[in-house]
Amino acid sequence: MAKYTPPEQDKALQFVDVGFLLVAIFLALWLPLQLGLAGAAKAIDKIENPTWELLGQNATMVSIWEKLGYTPATAHDIIQNRFHYNIDWLSLVIMAAILIGYFVFLFRASDKEYREVIAEKFGDSK
Amino acid sequence: MSQAAQATGQVPAAGQRISLLRVLGPAHVWALGVGIVLVGEFTGWNFSADKGGALAALITCWFVGILYTSVAMIDSEVTSTVAAAGGQYAQAKHIVGPLMAFNVALYLVFAYTMLEVSDSILVGDLMVTVAATDGLTRHAFVVLTIVVLAWLNYRGVLMTLNVNFIITALAYLSIIILFFSVQPWSQGVVLKLNELVTPQNALPYGWIGVIAAFQFAIWYYLGIEGTTQAAEEVRSPSRSLPYGTMAGMITLLIAAALTWYVCASLLPWEYLGFTFFPLFDAARVTGSPTLEFILFWGTVLSAVASANGCINDAARAWFSLGRDRYLPTWFAAVHPTYRTPYRAILFLLPIALAFAFIADLNQAITFSILSGVLQYTFMSINIVMFRNKWPLGSIRRGYTHPFHPIPAICLFLLCAITFFAIFLGFGSQLIAMVIFYVVVSIWFHFYRYRFVRRGDQFTMPWPKPKGY
Amino acid sequence: MWFTLSYIAWAISAALALWMLYDWFKTDTAYSEDQLTSSREGEIEAVSEKHKV
Repeated sequence: MAKYTPPEQDKALQFVDVGFLLVAIFLALWLPLQLGLAGAAKAIDKIENPTWELLGQNATMVSIWEKLGYTPATAHDIIQNRFHYNIDWLSLVIMAAILIGYFVFLFRASDKEYREVIAEKFGDSK
Repeated sequence: MSQAAQATGQVPAAGQRISLLRVLGPAHVWALGVGIVLVGEFTGWNFSADKGGALAALITCWFVGILYTSVAMIDSEVTSTVAAAGGQYAQAKHIVGPLMAFNVALYLVFAYTMLEVSDSILVGDLMVTVAATDGLTRHAFVVLTIVVLAWLNYRGVLMTLNVNFIITALAYLSIIILFFSVQPWSQGVVLKLNELVTPQNALPYGWIGVIAAFQFAIWYYLGIEGTTQAAEEVRSPSRSLPYGTMAGMITLLIAAALTWYVCASLLPWEYLGFTFFPLFDAARVTGSPTLEFILFWGTVLSAVASANGCINDAARAWFSLGRDRYLPTWFAAVHPTYRTPYRAILFLLPIALAFAFIADLNQAITFSILSGVLQYTFMSINIVMFRNKWPLGSIRRGYTHPFHPIPAICLFLLCAITFFAIFLGFGSQLIAMVIFYVVVSIWFHFYRYRFVRRGDQFTMPWPKPKGY
Repeated sequence: MWFTLSYIAWAISAALALWMLYDWFKTDTAYSEDQLTSSREGEIEAVSEKHKV
């Protein structure tokens, strides 16, 4: 197989390439933050006038919370901040599809490129 | 002996090739692997208690331990055979193909850069907590951590990893000291496990919580696979890498078990899932100022060791990308005196700083975990392809892992569970990040790859793979 | 005390960053680009590890 000679890349375009990657990274980090999608999906189950008992803490736990400097009022937001796991099947299917699609593309495109590499390195003969 | 002193006799003459230095032994490999990971015991793993309760944190600690034992075994086999800077990147390039390699390198760079960011934020926050001074922000300490470590990395790998060995060992020692100071053999004296973890609160979310907890249980061990990045700088890669990685894994399994036992016996699970410093808080609860002091420094040192190793690894992955023209070759420069990938180190420095200012800690950790899990998924498929293309006996392997393909299957299943765990509670972030990888993959395959030389990428002196 | 410490931290960071920039500039002007990027993957592999069984 003929040896593939890559085109020489202009210095300025090299900067553009690195810039593209950087912009993509910042977007991947920023967009979820901006759209309020980042972080854990948690919510506080509010209890009016919390006491240690209402918060479900036994004597040992209370002594530790107090050592750490908490009162029922300040501990309330930590203890009652809970996950609510309900599986949204639609988004699960979307996630699985994106993930599987990504891997399929990755392996198929890699294989195509890999065959060229092997052909050039070892020659076409088996 | 400092790297600079050692290297000064070796300033290359004009025309001589400049490569990385082969100076590291198994202890450095251990220091690199455990150094990156150990911070996970001081912070991070405890969020698995947040997602599923204290018992879920323990159950997932074991299962994820199996995942990582598989990772370490598979990694040792492949890397003892493909010994090049970039580690899994070079593996992917030789076994799966260029696009996969590009993605793997990005996983590496982001897993490590984000971990470095989290580490430095942790150091900054801890300083601010201890100072308890109004108006003091963490920024100065965050910047100091990142810049000093980048400087250390710039000046040479031997010194960098010697430092890492010492501070990792000290941080590890602090866990051991805490463990033996709380009389672990007699429950009820200091430790109160059965009063803190009761049948009612052990699994507050039931079994779905256990699955969800997989996400942060990854943090017990995330980064152990980084040992392979040193492949080009280790004196005898086919021996040192498997040895250092396996020893590191055993060290971490012990540390994880001790950490869980002490923390779950001293802190209520709601607090455990909330705090950023579980071991430090456990020491505070014992009421001993000495333990508090030791664990404060343990936490700081572990975070510094981790950031240090991360700079080392991320820079090598970035450097390898440049060397193969996946990115501009400009990044593939090696410093003539210190023999480090200095431009990659310098380039990643402001990026880490920028993220340390804008990103939030949870997000940085999640990005890091996700990149890690994508990489493990790749590794499970990679090892099967490796064994198929070059069956045992066709090339010399430094180490051959037993029970193939059981570790690969375990790894794949556990990765699938972890993806589901991330979906529970962090789903939208997962989708955003996978879309990022999809976009850059398309960009690479259809545009950037044209600048890459084809046959030159395959550098190992191996026979032609089977089936091609 | 802590504010002084944080100023010292800024100063050290700035000094080290400047040193790295200086050294980078010095290195890049003293050596040719070809020599700096002359490292090749698998170079030592080819000599020390023979993949013949």
